[in-house]
Amino acid sequence: MNGTPRALNRILLFIIGVKLLAVGLLLVLLATVPAVASWWHGWSASAWAGAENAFRQTHLPGREESWLWIVAGIVLVAIIIAMIAWLSQQGKGRANLLVASDDDSAVDGEVRIGGGVAEQALRAALSERTDLAGASVATLEVKGQPGLRIRIQPRQGVAPHVLAAEVSQLVEALDLVIGQKTPVLVHMVSGARARFTKAERVR
Amino acid sequence: MTQDQETQQVIAANFSAGATPVAGEDPGMSRILRRETHSSRAGASVIAAILVIVLCGYALLEAGVRAIGQPPWLIDPTTAAERIIALPNGISPLLLGASGAVVAMAGLFFLLHAVLPGRRARHLLRDPRTAVVVDDEVLASALARRARTAANVTQEQVMVVVSRQLVVVNVRPTSGSRVSEEAVLTAVQAELEQMSPVPMPAVRVNLATSGVIGA
Repeated sequence: MNGTPRALNRILLFIIGVKLLAVGLLLVLLATVPAVASWWHGWSASAWAGAENAFRQTHLPGREESWLWIVAGIVLVAIIIAMIAWLSQQGKGRANLLVASDDDSAVDGEVRIGGGVAEQALRAALSERTDLAGASVATLEVKGQPGLRIRIQPRQGVAPHVLAAEVSQLVEALDLVIGQKTPVLVHMVSGARARFTKAERVR
Repeated sequence: MTQDQETQQVIAANFSAGATPVAGEDPGMSRILRRETHSSRAGASVIAAILVIVLCGYALLEAGVRAIGQPPWLIDPTTAAERIIALPNGISPLLLGASGAVVAMAGLFFLLHAVLPGRRARHLLRDPRTAVVVDDEVLASALARRARTAANVTQEQVMVVVSRQLVVVNVRPTSGSRVSEEAVLTAVQAELEQMSPVPMPAVRVNLATSGVIGA
């Protein structure tokens, strides 16, 4: 439900995967097939000769080092910044406000309800239940609209459809309080806590 | 078939059946449900990004050291290039082949993450208000509880495996007492129909031929 850029992830993973696979296969072929080794010598030697020629023609004025090293450094810095930007996109999408709207009254101003209202109300209501090993509520932004994600960890053997109906009643009560219907996702997860604590025997 | 079409088909099949909608009352939820039932590949992306950052950082260090005319840290770029050109020589073929295989494996890992559909082991439940996504393990533990009461055995004698299209119930009966396969099947099927997960899996019951003593 968060704003992780999925298409971008797939494209970049595809590019990186293909490159690594090609390099790995080349290394394996170099180690095993002699014909590939002779081809590689010819190709890479000519490529490196071209690069060395370029380095020789691009001296810094008054020094013997080439300014191509600085260009290479700038390109590498750009790649690193792009990778950090990509990392920071993972799991983003938290929202602060549940409601931000103008009401119809004559008084100027805006009504804002923070996401914490719904999060704490739902968490308090869910924490009393004995058939849950844990619950967490988060407000996330979906296409510019706030939405709630309720993540609950039922104990072993709890019927999910009954639980879903009861959580859904809680959400309907919340709708009345807030005065607006927010999209809600209920996610029932299984975790170590649900697996190793005692099963719910009596309900 | 793309993920979009797939989810739309599920939701279309749902409306034609006249049942309660999968995604609550909000039509925009189908996008959220599609995202919740498929992997975001965030983990593989983080690993790949860190790998690229480390490689670029090292190359940057050597290039920077070279640009200001200082001695190299680990290896001079020119020497490195010459060694790479000479490649099958200068290193044992076994080591070269093994390192190549490791790099190729890492590449395959990222490539498969990018290409495969990345479906998560989750089902959707029908609910009039909210969109409900349930991990398959939660479904399995609820079905196991029902199968256990139907077969009248202890918790350890039942194992349920839920996959996208199939629920397999493995029961090891107590030695000396008969367990009816029919009863377990009807009980699990009734429970599954009450849950009505999307997509609806079929049920198969396996009774072990050997019993458990003293349970």
